[in-house]
Amino acid sequence: MSDPAGLALVACDLGVTLGARRVLDGVSLSIRTGEFVCLVGPNGGGKTTFLKVALGLLAPDAGSMQVLGGSPDRARRRIGYLPQRKAFVRDFPATAAELVLANRSGAWPLRIGGRDREQARAALSRVGGEPLLDRPLAGLSGGETQRVFLARALVIEPELLLLDEPTAGVDAKGREEFLELLAEVAARDDLTAVLVTHHLAAVQRLADRVAYLDGRLLAWGPPQEALGGLEARGAFQTGDHERPVLCEED
Amino acid sequence: MSFDFLAEPLAQGFMRRALLAGTVLGGAGALLGVFIVQRGLAFLSDGLAHATFGGMALGLLVGASPDHALWVALPFTALVAVAIGAVRRGSGLGSDVATGVFFALAFALGVLFLGLRPAKDSLNVEALLFGSILAISPDVLLAMLIVASLTTVALALAWSRLAYATFDPELAALSGVPVAALEHLLLVLTALVVVVGVKTVGVILVSAFIVIPAATATLLARTLAGIGALAVILGVVGSALGLVLSYHLNAASGATIIVTLAAAFFAALFLRRG
Repeated sequence: MSDPAGLALVACDLGVTLGARRVLDGVSLSIRTGEFVCLVGPNGGGKTTFLKVALGLLAPDAGSMQVLGGSPDRARRRIGYLPQRKAFVRDFPATAAELVLANRSGAWPLRIGGRDREQARAALSRVGGEPLLDRPLAGLSGGETQRVFLARALVIEPELLLLDEPTAGVDAKGREEFLELLAEVAARDDLTAVLVTHHLAAVQRLADRVAYLDGRLLAWGPPQEALGGLEARGAFQTGDHERPVLCEED
Repeated sequence: MSFDFLAEPLAQGFMRRALLAGTVLGGAGALLGVFIVQRGLAFLSDGLAHATFGGMALGLLVGASPDHALWVALPFTALVAVAIGAVRRGSGLGSDVATGVFFALAFALGVLFLGLRPAKDSLNVEALLFGSILAISPDVLLAMLIVASLTTVALALAWSRLAYATFDPELAALSGVPVAALEHLLLVLTALVVVVGVKTVGVILVSAFIVIPAATATLLARTLAGIGALAVILGVVGSALGLVLSYHLNAASGATIIVTLAAAFFAALFLRRG
């Protein structure tokens, strides 16, 4: 169940320090249910760190984040997560079906029965990956791998989908196909999603709103508005973005 | 293979005890090895074997007999395993680096402990380094059976979650798998199997029981469950065959077992390439 205010994620003055570096500082934004948000910005700008806080893998040292109406830890099993393309240990004998089912049950399947197999098939068919069902992950292309990982994320029927540069390391054709798939799935399933990306095409095709992070939140709003100033000013300026109402209540 | 080939060695009581010890260690080590090999931790089992030397030496220093020193080495090596895990997680250093530090330290402590013993107490250090499966005492055999049973039950219960954490610790943690606790479990079980294995083939060769059957099975099987089943079969049969061969060839038993396991590995490598 999402927050009654219709907000899937609320960050208030969020700050994270890793080692000696302030990775996120004073970041406040709210994401509405059903909204598709793209996080953009330079490498090291805190985009992945923002996702890790949302997943409960990192604790902020300042401010707070609410996900699906509660703490990130409590929301974890309601979040679908698609990591950057993974470099697999080739020896690990994982198939697409096993990966999908592992996320559903929280354990690697020892053997796959008929019912499990149908559930894995159904999840993969949502992303056009049904032919990959019994394929070893080690033999898949970059685009195919991310398709399987998207099925893995969707199999738990997530209320929020977090995608961390899913097309990094994927060739141009694979990237184009994956973005098309993501647009199709987002529209069909009315997903609430946060996508970290470096690709303008992804922003233009998918985003309802865009956040530009470079340690601080430098721009935040609809794509035209948030990105429009970039070319005109040569860089994003500190945005006088609207602070989420829920932050004031804290 | 004639009936006498098996019956003659097994007519001897010490050979029956050795066969039980070898097959129990071969099976439990191989099952554990599935995760050790998949996680790229082969050096860890080798490092823990050297740490066992420190634990055995400490046992001897406090007055235990060579057999009873095992009961000091078990917690000592388990502590070293936990320390390796803690340093690896806390420092961000690789597992090989943390293992390298503790393996050298524990071995050095072993040398110092032995030096502190009264000069009148003689000790066969060679037996400690190379083991003697033919001279397994009932006490050590009992310890082996306990450790092997514990290892098998723990791995069977944790198999699916351990597999998920082995595939990807971050994704497993997000799915609710207790990744850190499972890593500690794996390290402690490895320490226990290594310590009892040291009495069989010694400090130098014991990690072969863990690494070689699992590596061989990884070359041949297509699923994790298949790798586990095949590794156990290879560990048990390889140990038994090596022991019987050593009897007929009048060769060192531990070394012959390891050579037999390694022969299966190279045959699998050849088959896979062919």
